[in-house]
Amino acid sequence: MPELDELEARLARLEPADFERGLAVFRGKLRGAEASYLETCVRCGLCADSCHYFRADHELKSIPAYKLSQVASVFKRHCTVEGRLASALLGAKSFDRAMARTWVEAIFGRCSLCGRCSLNCTTGIHIATVLRAARSALAEMGLVPSDLQSVVTQSLESGNNMGITKQDWIETVEWLEEELQTAVGDPGARIPVDKEGARVLFTVNPREPKFFPLSLQASATVFHAAKEDWTVASEGWDLTNYGLFTGDSVQAGAIADNLLRSMQRLGCRVLIIGECGHGYAAARWEAPEWLGREHGFEVRSFLELMEDYFREGRLKVDPDRHQDPVTLHDPCNLVRHGGVCEPQRTILRRTVRRFVEMIPNRAENFCCGGGGGQLAMARFQAKRVQAGGVKAEQIRRSGAKTVVAPCHNCIDQLMELNREYRLGVSIKTVAEIVADALVFDQPVGR
Amino acid sequence: MISGLQIGVLASGVWALGLLGALHRRAQGYGRRELFARAAGDPRKGVAYAFGKGMSPAAKESAREHLPTWFAGVGYHLGILAGLGYVALLLVGIELDGMLRLGFQAPLLAGALCGTGLLVKRAFTPRLRALSCPDDFLSNLLATAFVALAFARTISARLDAAFLAETMLLLLWVPVGKIRHCLFFFTTRYHMATHFGRRGTFPPASFPPRA
Amino acid sequence: MPTIEFSGKQLEVNEEGFLVHPEEWTEDLAAHLACKEEGLDAMTDEHWAVIRFIRGHYEANGSAPMVRSICRTTGVALKRIYELFPSGPARGACKLAGLPKPDGCV
Ligand code: SF4
Ligand code: SF4
Repeated sequence: MPELDELEARLARLEPADFERGLAVFRGKLRGAEASYLETCVRCGLCADSCHYFRADHELKSIPAYKLSQVASVFKRHCTVEGRLASALLGAKSFDRAMARTWVEAIFGRCSLCGRCSLNCTTGIHIATVLRAARSALAEMGLVPSDLQSVVTQSLESGNNMGITKQDWIETVEWLEEELQTAVGDPGARIPVDKEGARVLFTVNPREPKFFPLSLQASATVFHAAKEDWTVASEGWDLTNYGLFTGDSVQAGAIADNLLRSMQRLGCRVLIIGECGHGYAAARWEAPEWLGREHGFEVRSFLELMEDYFREGRLKVDPDRHQDPVTLHDPCNLVRHGGVCEPQRTILRRTVRRFVEMIPNRAENFCCGGGGGQLAMARFQAKRVQAGGVKAEQIRRSGAKTVVAPCHNCIDQLMELNREYRLGVSIKTVAEIVADALVFDQPVGR
Repeated sequence: MISGLQIGVLASGVWALGLLGALHRRAQGYGRRELFARAAGDPRKGVAYAFGKGMSPAAKESAREHLPTWFAGVGYHLGILAGLGYVALLLVGIELDGMLRLGFQAPLLAGALCGTGLLVKRAFTPRLRALSCPDDFLSNLLATAFVALAFARTISARLDAAFLAETMLLLLWVPVGKIRHCLFFFTTRYHMATHFGRRGTFPPASFPPRA
Repeated sequence: MPTIEFSGKQLEVNEEGFLVHPEEWTEDLAAHLACKEEGLDAMTDEHWAVIRFIRGHYEANGSAPMVRSICRTTGVALKRIYELFPSGPARGACKLAGLPKPDGCV
């Protein structure tokens, strides 16, 4: 059992009014679609195997329909007449302390909001959306696990989720610019900061400058090779948005607004989200809904942009540099929720000698287990690693030596799986694979 | 001559339809979500997929990997449809004969067996039982009994009253319990498909989805 | 809270093995964690240089340093860091240096 001590204390302090507010927020998240989802489940149980948690532990509590029914039972009891009158018969249940605890354990503890069950439900219930609405209620009641909430708070306070200062960020960019110049043998190579009117504004995950700058350097190498008119921003450069995971749309909107303000300030035309699943889903799909307005510019994934470069003949690569079999992980938020599925494949087929698909793949992919904010919630670590066993097995069966994951969140989980399950693979972003295969026109000192 | 039971069946039919209509209005009364993000795909294509190829067992892992259950479900639902058709015929006074009767008997018998099989599965698979609420058993019992009695009624007209009474019970329960999914299946699927259609996830780039 | 036992004492760690009370850290503990948590055979001078710098930075500023400062100060090349600490600078080096788990995607 993960310890719920500090959460227990918060649960114990809940007043009736807190439950009322939670329910009100939950109802506020519902539209015709969700109200319909909440009425439809027939408990056929066929969604069970679609969830990596269930595949890994075969426990009732990991079945998507179990998680859904905890939420639906509260809906029935509090939002329908028949549920109030015949609660036992219809499985309607009160939203009380015990139920709030059940929600936390089911929806924060055993769900990565990956949406795989949504595509597998017999009747077509978008289960993940309902579960996220329930997270919103928990957020309103102050029941978000504190380490997940602290990432959101960090973003709100410092403008990025790791509290990196402007000076540290700029110095790291300058350092990487020097590294880039050495790597490509061109003292003119640049990582422009705050270049007004640049076509592309490129955004990154703070873990890149803080701990893993090689992927950022690889992205810069690609921009350099493609001769793109691009820039990073000195402020408002963090593409992550953990508000997507806590379900607090007000905070999520405020974080998303950081990127939009950079776009406005610099007058760029395209906002490019670096390789990150949830960052893409947040900026591309959710931000306009959180903020209630359409973006006045394009938001695209770096993968789509790199695919353009290849199509336009702006990148020359030598696939012989990657001889070992390479497989691809499909981040849920990018592929299933985000709709970006083929660009990464087009790129890899041109960049490596042997590209092998995992099975299943694309919109049917299994979550790595690190989505939905799971990586930030230490209390659920054991479950997360156990559930990640499904992905580990997929990787093993692919026979690949390299796993490409266009998402830093996934990469972190995959690194842990690599160690726990002794996979012996190396894990890279798409840009790293491309950068390593790039052939420059003039000879360069690599 | 219209019997009291026939009137009862008609009245419960009206009750079922009326309440389903009310449930539909209640759910959709939560409103439509105004969407601001630019669509990447066509929601209508998503809907066409979800109600077309997306229904095939090849399209979903949950169906592919559980074909016996999936086919039992299909058989069960076909049986229920046949039963409803049969009631309608009886109400307008048409008795089935010969091949036509066989054409109803086959799906009715299959449906009754499938329904029973699913009920047994629910009762004896510990996890599925734990997932269930009383309504799951009641709804299945009512529908399976309905199909079984429809089949029996095709053999013996003496079961007329029992069949019509059972039909009444079923229709009364339809909007109250989970059989309301006869309505919500369509709205739910529509909403889900619109969502994934807009995002470009539906229809998948290739069909069946390359596993 | 889970605990680990080290030289007769019970130390509280979070579920991922980060120290709950960073002030309980000692260099002996780092060496112990290096072998138990990070699977290292032995700590080299390079390992120590990185860990001591991270620790010093944490004690002065209350946060983990940028990897750039680690490289600049210790002279260890960037790519080498990932060889030294297979779990990376955050889950690897920072954990060995007794820091609490950093925020963000780590
Ligand atoms: S597949 Fe859909 S209808 Fe069946 S139990 Fe799961 S959520 Fe309910
Ligand atoms: S969204 Fe993913 S993790 Fe959550 S219940 Fe569904 S399949 Fe499982």
